[in-house]
Amino acid sequence: MKIKSTFVHLANSVLPVLLAFLIGGIIIAMLGENPLDTYGILLSKSLLTSKGFLTTLHYASPLILTGLAIAITFKANIFNMGVEGQMLLGAFFSGIIGAYLPAGMNSVLAKIVCLTVGVLCGAISAMLPAVLKAYFKVNEMVVTLMLNYAIIKILEFLSTGVFRDITAGYVCTPTIQKNAMFSRLGSSRITAFFFIAVAAFAVMYFVMNKSKLGYETTAIGKNPEFAEATGMKVHKKILMLMAISGALSGLAGAGYMMSEKFKFTLDFSGNPGLGWDGMLIALLGAHSPVGILIAAVFYAALKTGADNINLYSMVPKEIVAVIQGLIILFLSIKFLSENSVTGPKIRSLFAKLTNRKAGRENK
Amino acid sequence: MSIIQTVDLTKKFGDFTANDAINLSVDKQEIKCIVGENGAGKTTLMNMLYGLLRPTSGKILIRDQETVINSPVQAIANGLGMVHQHFKLVHSLTVYENIMLGTEIKKSKNSVFVDNKKEIKVVRELIDKYKFDLNPLDKIEDISVGSRQRVEILKMLYRDVDILILDEPTAVLTPQEVDDLFVNLRELRGQGKTIIVITHKLREVMELSDSVTVIKQGKVVGNVLTKDTSEAELAQMMVGRDVMLTVKNEQNGPVSGATAYQAENICTINDYGKEVLHNISFSVKKGEILGIAGVEGNGQSELVKVLTGIMKTTKGKLTIDGKDITDKWPDELRRNGIGIIPEDRYAQGLCADMSLSDNCIAGYHSNPQVCSKAGFMKRKKINELRDKFVKNFDIRVGSIDGSVGQLSGGNAQKVIIAREFESNSKLLIACQPTRGVDIGSIEFIHKQILAYRDRGNAVILISSELSEIMSLSTRIAVMYKGEIVGEVNPKETNTTAIGLLMAGIKN
Repeated sequence: MKIKSTFVHLANSVLPVLLAFLIGGIIIAMLGENPLDTYGILLSKSLLTSKGFLTTLHYASPLILTGLAIAITFKANIFNMGVEGQMLLGAFFSGIIGAYLPAGMNSVLAKIVCLTVGVLCGAISAMLPAVLKAYFKVNEMVVTLMLNYAIIKILEFLSTGVFRDITAGYVCTPTIQKNAMFSRLGSSRITAFFFIAVAAFAVMYFVMNKSKLGYETTAIGKNPEFAEATGMKVHKKILMLMAISGALSGLAGAGYMMSEKFKFTLDFSGNPGLGWDGMLIALLGAHSPVGILIAAVFYAALKTGADNINLYSMVPKEIVAVIQGLIILFLSIKFLSENSVTGPKIRSLFAKLTNRKAGRENK
Repeated sequence: MSIIQTVDLTKKFGDFTANDAINLSVDKQEIKCIVGENGAGKTTLMNMLYGLLRPTSGKILIRDQETVINSPVQAIANGLGMVHQHFKLVHSLTVYENIMLGTEIKKSKNSVFVDNKKEIKVVRELIDKYKFDLNPLDKIEDISVGSRQRVEILKMLYRDVDILILDEPTAVLTPQEVDDLFVNLRELRGQGKTIIVITHKLREVMELSDSVTVIKQGKVVGNVLTKDTSEAELAQMMVGRDVMLTVKNEQNGPVSGATAYQAENICTINDYGKEVLHNISFSVKKGEILGIAGVEGNGQSELVKVLTGIMKTTKGKLTIDGKDITDKWPDELRRNGIGIIPEDRYAQGLCADMSLSDNCIAGYHSNPQVCSKAGFMKRKKINELRDKFVKNFDIRVGSIDGSVGQLSGGNAQKVIIAREFESNSKLLIACQPTRGVDIGSIEFIHKQILAYRDRGNAVILISSELSEIMSLSTRIAVMYKGEIVGEVNPKETNTTAIGLLMAGIKN
């Protein structure tokens, strides 16, 4: 029973990736390049060299956090689509604080201050939809989604006006102070932020799998009436989960600011954005913390590998964006489910194929 | 002459027989009431007639013609229309637009424009013809629930049906609206329509119908003309089953005389603002079982919800051992020593998708035995608890790590029983503890409840099985229309007397 459901989960995450690579391979072949060579570069440079792997881990750090931020709410059947906005808000204000800190401040303290500001901004901005949902039954999906745009526009206003760094030739906020920056370890890009993300992962692993809150989250997600009748105060849990989700998002933004960007620009989060990537990662990881860790590293590997594709082959790096898009497309299909019609059919097909193969071998 | 007839109509869902060889016959131009408790199979039967469900076996005859109905469209084509309990209307559209939805009158045959003027005229004629009180230009969101129901009925009438099925039509209506509905229905009968009404409100049956069919546990148990029967007789047919309960009810423990639990003047309103509980007062002593009987739909569900903390009171006070617990959350009630067996085990009692062990601690998951101070669950302890429950309560499981969804109804109920009995509670609120449970488990559960009482605890037993209430209770309170209309001692009374009380007839 348990093995079967793990198999289904695994298949539902791995099949979309394989299919995306398959179709991506066809496109590469049409460009006149060898897909296997290209994929070889993509994965070996990002996962199999120590420098590449550490860079991959560096880029995975914010994705682990945004992925967890999505997963904790989805598990309770609440949809925090505002991870992107919460992340940006956390990033922006940790960047502002970081820029205006006294230069002589203790560097550990400076980092703690910046991270705390980021976490608080994320958590507080998640409270608005949470309160509306818990006490006024307003659909949180709509509110969180729309708030992203409100936040983005407000930050645009702040970074082009009040907080603009006038010495720079483009729109950005002042660079954060040296003492608030995470320094790189060795020649790779990895910083202490990665370890903070892993620590957050460890905490969330225990919260989601071993704690009372995790237990109640599952119950609320699976049967809210049951949760209410057994005394889990659902509206309070909604507030708590949204706060955690917002805090993780804010932490992701602050950490990315302090380890990679050092100033807020209008394209801070890239395209499609760390929050949206987090959603894909949560889906890919089937909302389980370990799955998310793996998915985030894999996703970051694509990012790191993309730069190498440009360097070592004629394939444009945009192929990675194509593959990512295809993964999203195929992820929306449930290939196998424990009680669907197609699940057993596909499984019996596999069984038939393996039997035939075995039969042939016996002959 | 019967206009619609079923012959040995049977519907099975897996192993469960929802309708067992139903033979129903409805005469032309009569109002037929089909009565039975929730889960008796009334709605299944009607859904088969309306083409929403396919019968497993048996035949449906319409106007003496054997007819296969595969969809509501076919049912309507055969002159059969249904008005559901929950209306299917578009709130932002007007009355006439809702009636015409899907059959709009076009300006000309191939035009894409709707002829609104003509539509309004047609609807107005329809309203006048059946003497309904409606304005075709009102929006659905602006009109009362009773008017919405009339729109639903008109929707069917416009489609030229002559047999009209109404599923629990009075459930959401105020008394005045009920009267209006009955006037309308009689008018329709006068104009040659046949009407089938599904209900469990006996007073309305007596007032409205020409004949009654009583269904119990998927079988027809009675076919009577309304003028030859009484509410009391119908109530007895609906609930008084003749299953012999083998449990011997002898008081072994002491009745201390001390009040364990008290309810004073409890009132509450439902989502529609209707008062569903009115000045309910009772008390339960230690070592006593208070049975609460009544035909379903007379406020028992709401009472249970109020007692178990998932519905708020508008007035009144609840106390346990003198401590005020009015409107407290379920977790606080459980902390105060109240065990709860909820009415719907898969909605409020268990989570079918969660594991057996997770379900064994639900409601008690903050208990220091299973949850550390830091908020982490003690998995090992929880699994030990689960194993203890499985052993002591003989819960038959396929896979011990599997979900509760794999268990049969009786075994799932045992999980709840184990959880609520092993929690050192002082008072048990047991609602329909044996509904849908096999005979063996019924006996087991009854024995457990009696043993619980003998340990000096109090029990409130709410059940629509009269025999269950009669054999277990120390005292029986009878509910009718949201009020307690009487209290009897089961040893000094019989089902007929209780049946009268259940029908609201005081002697």
